[in-house]
Amino acid sequence: MIRRNRSRILGAALAALAVAAAGCGSSGSAGANGSSAATVNTLVIANAVKVDTLDPEANSVNESIWLDQNLYSRLLQPNATGTGLLPDLAQSWAISRDGLTYTFHLRTDAKFSNGSPVTAADVVYSIDRSRKFAGGWGFLLTAVKTVAATSAHTVVVTLSQPHTPLLADLAMYAYSVVPEKLVKAQGAAFFQHPVGSGPFMITSFKADSEVDLARNPHFYGTKPKVQKVRYLIVPNDNTRVLMLESKKADIIENPPGNLITQIDKTPGLSVQLFPSTRVDFIELDEHFAPFKKALVRQALNYAIDRKALVKLAYQGHATPGASFMPYKMQYYDSSLSPYPYNPAKAKQLLTQAGYPHGFSTFLITVSGDVAGQAEAVVLKSELAAVGINVSIQSYELTTAYSKEDGGHSQMGERYWTNDIIDPDEVATFGADCTGGANAFASYWCDKQVIQAVAAARSERSAAKRQQLYSQIQQAVYQQSPFVVLDYSPYRYGVGGWVHGFHVSPLGSYDLSLENLTVSAH
Amino acid sequence: MSRFSSLPQRCGHLVIVLFGITLVTFFLLRLLPGNPAVAILGTSYTPARAAAIDNTLGLNRPIWSQYGLFLGHLFQGNLGFSFFYGQPATTVIVQHIAPTVFLVIYSAVLAALISFPIGFAAGLRRGGVIDQSSRILFTVSFAMPGFWLGIILLLVFSVHLHAFPISGFGGGFAQHLYYLFLPALTIALGFSTVLVRSLRAATIATLQAEFVDTARMKGIRWRRVLRRHVFRNAILAVVAVFGVNLAYLISGTVLVENVFSLPGLGSLLVNSVADRDYPVVQGVTLLFAVLIVAINLLADIVQAALDPRVGQEAGA
Repeated sequence: MIRRNRSRILGAALAALAVAAAGCGSSGSAGANGSSAATVNTLVIANAVKVDTLDPEANSVNESIWLDQNLYSRLLQPNATGTGLLPDLAQSWAISRDGLTYTFHLRTDAKFSNGSPVTAADVVYSIDRSRKFAGGWGFLLTAVKTVAATSAHTVVVTLSQPHTPLLADLAMYAYSVVPEKLVKAQGAAFFQHPVGSGPFMITSFKADSEVDLARNPHFYGTKPKVQKVRYLIVPNDNTRVLMLESKKADIIENPPGNLITQIDKTPGLSVQLFPSTRVDFIELDEHFAPFKKALVRQALNYAIDRKALVKLAYQGHATPGASFMPYKMQYYDSSLSPYPYNPAKAKQLLTQAGYPHGFSTFLITVSGDVAGQAEAVVLKSELAAVGINVSIQSYELTTAYSKEDGGHSQMGERYWTNDIIDPDEVATFGADCTGGANAFASYWCDKQVIQAVAAARSERSAAKRQQLYSQIQQAVYQQSPFVVLDYSPYRYGVGGWVHGFHVSPLGSYDLSLENLTVSAH
Repeated sequence: MSRFSSLPQRCGHLVIVLFGITLVTFFLLRLLPGNPAVAILGTSYTPARAAAIDNTLGLNRPIWSQYGLFLGHLFQGNLGFSFFYGQPATTVIVQHIAPTVFLVIYSAVLAALISFPIGFAAGLRRGGVIDQSSRILFTVSFAMPGFWLGIILLLVFSVHLHAFPISGFGGGFAQHLYYLFLPALTIALGFSTVLVRSLRAATIATLQAEFVDTARMKGIRWRRVLRRHVFRNAILAVVAVFGVNLAYLISGTVLVENVFSLPGLGSLLVNSVADRDYPVVQGVTLLFAVLIVAINLLADIVQAALDPRVGQEAGA
């Protein structure tokens, strides 16, 4: 009797599960068919982080900046290799002889995605709006006196002093052009469903799950070949890889380093590496006595085996670093080579500096940063070999940055990426302690370098700028206020059915989305 | 009447608990190093830009006045303005509530469907095949962390069998059921272990009770004894366990939402902590607290409804 009852109960349980599974299965197949029919014209990109905002003046998350560049146009834009500028809304421009007046001639056929024309007034409004935004990028344009529309298609920028990076600054995402009337009328709500003049426009926007783009019918350039781009926000590294493997995503950003080989081995998938402006470095805080001495900072450079580091932390997919400026960018000094690995020399320098037995310190890392954690372990063992005892402290991102910026850290893992193609930005942040970022939070101040940064900013001759930037790079290399480790590339997992995906060293790929095609898969 | 007599007192506790939670979340959040400006500026941080942001967000006011403002607004049902989303925190939370609530209920139902029959069967036949195999199966699934079990389920059912989607929430009830099946199963498998074990123990205990023997001696059919006496009494013991664990289940959604890229409250909470989006973190924490207290209260009520004895000692 008991036996019979048990089988009934079991039967009921199985039936219930079967019903649940069947119900799921049937509704599921409909959904799957629906989505696979459309994917040829739709490109699906899985990003790891959510969109911070679609308002270009306030963007700070890289992925959001790259997304925004598909929506808005600027006066000029960086080229695909990040080494020069291309016309965008401005067809041509002229610079006065004294370098104080820039005249931009706008193209006359540019329209926003709602069909209204892009006017010089919109350009003036957008630039002024961004440079006056509190906490924004206005500090790059302090030399700008006025921005004015002298005709419907002419914009004139006047400066108080020569400022050579101006064109590069104006090609930055923050100076994207938005329609004055709509932004004024709608305020913050505008950026929930913005209107721009770029190749794509927003059709649906959920900041932390999905963003849908469609071709802008009024775009003045060549129409992109794909009709739609869908961005999915997938924070979990493994889940992104699974999406690529099951062809639910065409392109995924940052596949985890330990899965690169697995992806490359999967037929039809590959991991593509694109040279970037990323510089990985170890921040050294001069408030900590040993780091006040250049000898100690140099010793750290000799104590680190960059080749081993690149191999262990980045699976060999990075380049050992020398200059603090991004690899092979404009005015990069290629005469510098990475400090050689020489622990004996490091020990000798430490002795000379008064630390024959080394010292104890700590290194701040960002938890969840897999490559960074591996890097920290390698650094710890290498520095231990020369007597420097490093304890690793992991914090969540915001906490880590806050500790490092505040001048209370000793060592910290950091990285830099450029927002403009001109070296002025990285030089101001990294080498000028009066530039606002305390020379990458090292609090290292060198009068000559500070003067050179300012001089390079107003110098108009390319040859002289090269000279000044070389001088700055060599001083930073020699003084090493921070330890430059490597230049790591952008990493994307890409399906073989995607043709023509390319990322510029600045990280943007809007130019490639205009030409890229997706074949059936 | 006496069965529900402790209800007003419990509701009073609720208010005190919630007030405590506003205090704890508000001040703990501000003890965290880093602030919204650091999160917003990232690598382009400069003290001047950070100060400008603090000023716009009102974070340069004294902390007590910030707390007073927060409490005052709270009484008007206003959680403040999200720094990140640029919308009222209430709106942001409402936008993210559906996937989580759906997931929690779905997981609870799945867990009940899985564990009630198995736990009962295991209790009826101690040491039998079902008892032994379920013991092994659920111990293993309990030991597997949710984020790992989730990935394995994705690998098998989504990548290889193409049976379920990898991420997302879908649109409409049927799609939600389909999209959330694997995440709900992930949570339910972990949750079921506790339920199966306690239901099994309760069933065994009930089977040994004298009233079961009495019922059998009265000649009541065995199936009826099981249904009316054994099952009902055994379930009773599990209701409390179910309630307490449902609260854990809510916190479990945080990890599962990350694996399955669900735009729910769990992901919202994690993101908002990283962004130092104080109003949203405070709002979600408060909501979770309310849910947990409410679920416990509900479990008490259900228990009282099922068992006339509950609450009588207090009433007498």
